[in-house]
Amino acid sequence: MLLCDFHIHTKYSDGSLELRKVVDIFGQAGFDVIAITDHVVNGDSLIGKFAHRFRFTITEKNFNEYMENIKYEAQRAWNKYEMLVIPGVEISKNYLSSEKSAHLLILDIKDFIPACESYENIFLEAKKQNALIVACHPHHMRGEIRNTLYLWNNRHIYGKYIDAWEIANRDDVFNVVSLKKYPYIANSDFHKPIHLYSWKTLLKTEKDIISIKKCIKHNKGVAITLFRG
Amino acid sequence: MFLWIILALVLVSITIYFLQILALRKKLSENSHSSFLPPVSIIKPLKGIDDNLFDNLESFCKQDYPEYEVIFSLQDINDPAYRVAEKIKNKYPHLVRIIVDGSERALNPKVKNMISAYRNSKYDYFLISDSNVYVEKDYLKKTVSCMTENTGLVTNLIVGVSGRSIGAKLENLQLNSFVILATCLLDQFLKIPCSIGKSMLMRKRDFEEIGGFDAIKDILAEDYMLGKLMHEKGKGVVLSSYMVKNVNEYWSFSRFLNRHTRWAKIRWKIGGIKYFTEPLSNPLFLSSFIPLLDNFSRMSLTVFLMTLLVKISFDFYTSRLIKAPLNTSVLLIPIKDLITAIIWFVPFISCRLSWRGNIYKIGKDTMIIQDNNLSSVRIIFNKLKTAFNH
Repeated sequence: MLLCDFHIHTKYSDGSLELRKVVDIFGQAGFDVIAITDHVVNGDSLIGKFAHRFRFTITEKNFNEYMENIKYEAQRAWNKYEMLVIPGVEISKNYLSSEKSAHLLILDIKDFIPACESYENIFLEAKKQNALIVACHPHHMRGEIRNTLYLWNNRHIYGKYIDAWEIANRDDVFNVVSLKKYPYIANSDFHKPIHLYSWKTLLKTEKDIISIKKCIKHNKGVAITLFRG
Repeated sequence: MFLWIILALVLVSITIYFLQILALRKKLSENSHSSFLPPVSIIKPLKGIDDNLFDNLESFCKQDYPEYEVIFSLQDINDPAYRVAEKIKNKYPHLVRIIVDGSERALNPKVKNMISAYRNSKYDYFLISDSNVYVEKDYLKKTVSCMTENTGLVTNLIVGVSGRSIGAKLENLQLNSFVILATCLLDQFLKIPCSIGKSMLMRKRDFEEIGGFDAIKDILAEDYMLGKLMHEKGKGVVLSSYMVKNVNEYWSFSRFLNRHTRWAKIRWKIGGIKYFTEPLSNPLFLSSFIPLLDNFSRMSLTVFLMTLLVKISFDFYTSRLIKAPLNTSVLLIPIKDLITAIIWFVPFISCRLSWRGNIYKIGKDTMIIQDNNLSSVRIIFNKLKTAFNH
């Protein structure tokens, strides 16, 4: 089975390591598939403005450079480690209220999607790009003051757009996703090296982007594992 | 009076430190040229993910050496290191074999890991090397060149590299000062055999003559024991001047503490009374008593600061000798020296140690004592801890 992590941050947003170093950490540990998913933060709230001010976000301006670098690293990772690197972003709608906030991964993104758009527009744009949409940390997390509950609370509206839900994020497990029998994956939400040791996804499929997206979407041959090194 | 004794000890300590650096210089200037290049089996016991694991393992497959094989040995196919080993095997299918066997009986997990690989190895010469070691292309050639008819074991110096986290920086500082210098002093001036598990080359005939894995299966410091047994058998234990790299990139502070507490306990069980001479290799710690005993007088503080300066200069020079730049780690030298001084006392309190997820109790010569049953006090403590956590 393929050992995968689809939720990884670099210095392009609030991660502590450069893209190259992050790719090497996962490659050295024997991973088969990773997705680089730096934040694209909404600029229409106080927290969002803060992220823009301190460059904790991908913007339309540096998106192409971000994608180019991921492409370069993906080629290097494939040649050296036989590891597939998927370009992605984490659309981050941050507000003071947990009920209003939501984060979602867009995997295999091609063009920039602004986070201040409406949810419908974001979902439709992602679908147009044939990208995969994953709702991340959708429920309460231990020790977290600001949760991202909007998508879970409005799942009856947006559930149809979401290809998978994070059933586990780093050390947290969201059993509600399991109870609802939603398609699931598990990720590290990697920001620093210690986060390597966390929940991961195992996929029983071929190591190419089409098969991987299909496998997650159909949620057959998916398992999660607590990677402890 | 006591103050003068401490002052004298500080001077002795600085002299010893200076001698250690001379020993390192002498060692590094050694060169051995030999055209003897027998086929070698490299055995790499794996457990868990180490920093830089992929590159570490691959570096052994890129040796400029005529004939050799690499065997990755694991106890469990579900070990995360298996995936990495498999990727390396796919890259070098004619060179690499993976052996998974957890059925052997040995209390030392590393030895347990290697028995099957050793049995399946092809060549008369074999080299044991840890998974956290990175080597250059000429490593095998240079290491084998130290092997003569009278040599039983060839081992290598280790240098800590790539520290990014505080724990890793402290770890590399300790490896690149205390560990490498003490190893060279033992080898060059005291002629005490010192074998290091990171890299050990042996002949199978000699290894079996000293009892093979049966002789070390229940010993925690199996590397030390191999060196000791070879020496007792009249075979030479040679320290090669080739330095292998121990890659420590993202170690946590607790991992640094854990490793050096474990090593201190091992040294106490091995060295016995000789363990009491160890503080002499820590001049900074000794000099810290001077201001304490002299009410922080200007003179005492001057002595302390001068010792600090001398120690940092020595470490800086050592780092240049071994080509492992100190950079910002230089600021951590006094902290590291103080921490390791405190760690020195730990073996007097406890002989229990933790290594790669297992807890051990060790006796003389680091003989592992099975300790499956926790003491009743510990059981009560654990129960209370669980209750409070809930």
